[in-house]
Amino acid sequence: MDDLLAILAAGGAALAVSLPLLLMGRRAFPTTAPQQGPFLGGGVPQTHAWQRYHARWYAMTLVFIAFEMEMMFMYPWAVVFVAEGMKAMVEMGMFLAILSLGILYGWREGVFRWQ
Amino acid sequence: MAVSLLARLAAAAPAPVFAVAGIDGLRAVERLALDPRVELVASPRHAAILLVAGEIRPEDRADLYRLHDQMPHPRATVWWASEPLFAGIPVGPHGFPAGDLADLHRALAARAMDSDPDILPDEPPNPWRGKGDYGQGGEGMMGGTPYGRPMAMTADDLRDGLALDAYSATFGPFLPAFPPGLVLDLTLQGDVIQSAEVLRPPYLQHELRGPAAYLRRAARLVRLLGLPAVAERLRRRPEGCGALARTGVFAAIPAGLGRLGGYDVRDRLRAWCEERTPPPLPEEARLAPLLPGLEWHAAVLVINSFTDAELRSLCGAREVAA
Repeated sequence: MDDLLAILAAGGAALAVSLPLLLMGRRAFPTTAPQQGPFLGGGVPQTHAWQRYHARWYAMTLVFIAFEMEMMFMYPWAVVFVAEGMKAMVEMGMFLAILSLGILYGWREGVFRWQ
Repeated sequence: MAVSLLARLAAAAPAPVFAVAGIDGLRAVERLALDPRVELVASPRHAAILLVAGEIRPEDRADLYRLHDQMPHPRATVWWASEPLFAGIPVGPHGFPAGDLADLHRALAARAMDSDPDILPDEPPNPWRGKGDYGQGGEGMMGGTPYGRPMAMTADDLRDGLALDAYSATFGPFLPAFPPGLVLDLTLQGDVIQSAEVLRPPYLQHELRGPAAYLRRAARLVRLLGLPAVAERLRRRPEGCGALARTGVFAAIPAGLGRLGGYDVRDRLRAWCEERTPPPLPEEARLAPLLPGLEWHAAVLVINSFTDAELRSLCGAREVAA
């Protein structure tokens, strides 16, 4: 409870200091339309800023999650495997089958091709 | 109390200056960059003072006004060897404004002088047209022209054929990564240039001949590689090619980049370090076809690997005998 109060007090103090400064600055010098534009050395964009780009590392992330998550669950599974027996074996098989779909998808996307 | 302490600390720092080089202004700006009282910053958002060195073309004036208005308050303008287009402090062509800039910065920080007012009206370049679910002016997530600018649409990427949004914008004339005055109309997908068009050639800069001119060009290129300390060393203490090669500069430039007339960017930098002139470029060579397919940093290196005279001929500008 004391910790919570301390966090609230620190947060309140931070807001009390920063908010008035922020609002005062906004009122004294509001951001004008030219200031809202991007800096292109004087030039202007011809396209709207809202656009999609490609996260090219997504396939690598997928493979990382597939293999890393596999190991993360295999360690606790190995501890209980002897006690649980066949049931744990089937569960792990299901888990690996689902993960392998992700690996197959990554394979199709060419993630294992060295370039 | 706290605010006045901050103001005193700010005033003690080097004056943050955004330098705009006009005709024959680049050499003066580079001389100023070596002065410890001044810090040349990379964008007007970091600057308190706009320094205009040299005359500006009439067609670049609107861009200069926009840069001026993009600076945060308090701000001021200094005109160095340049006809003032708006309020500011003029400095003659033979003066050296480092001391003036430092004084001006202190006065601005102490609120001893008024901040420059805006030049352009404070209204959006295109009014809001709230159509569609998100006000985007079109259907769904694509299409339409909110704020008068079309939404980006997909096109095939040159690098790997993924269909990504293409972004078109005018870059320059005062982008620190470009030679002053160069205006390019670029379409980018991520950082890959899909198409390029030269709108305005760079300003004419009368370079002095001799070793210093070669080293200055080499230092410009090395600074754009992200090695400002090496660039400064190159300018202060000419060390020759061997010392530069040991810093790994040549390995940092992709081989075969911007090859024209048998020389690529690496060869041109090496020639400048050895104080040789690279062979003349083919008469019909142009800048725009060199850029598509390059990533942004590579394109900047290619553009800056030519002398100003070469770049003007690549942009199709006719030389007027001086």
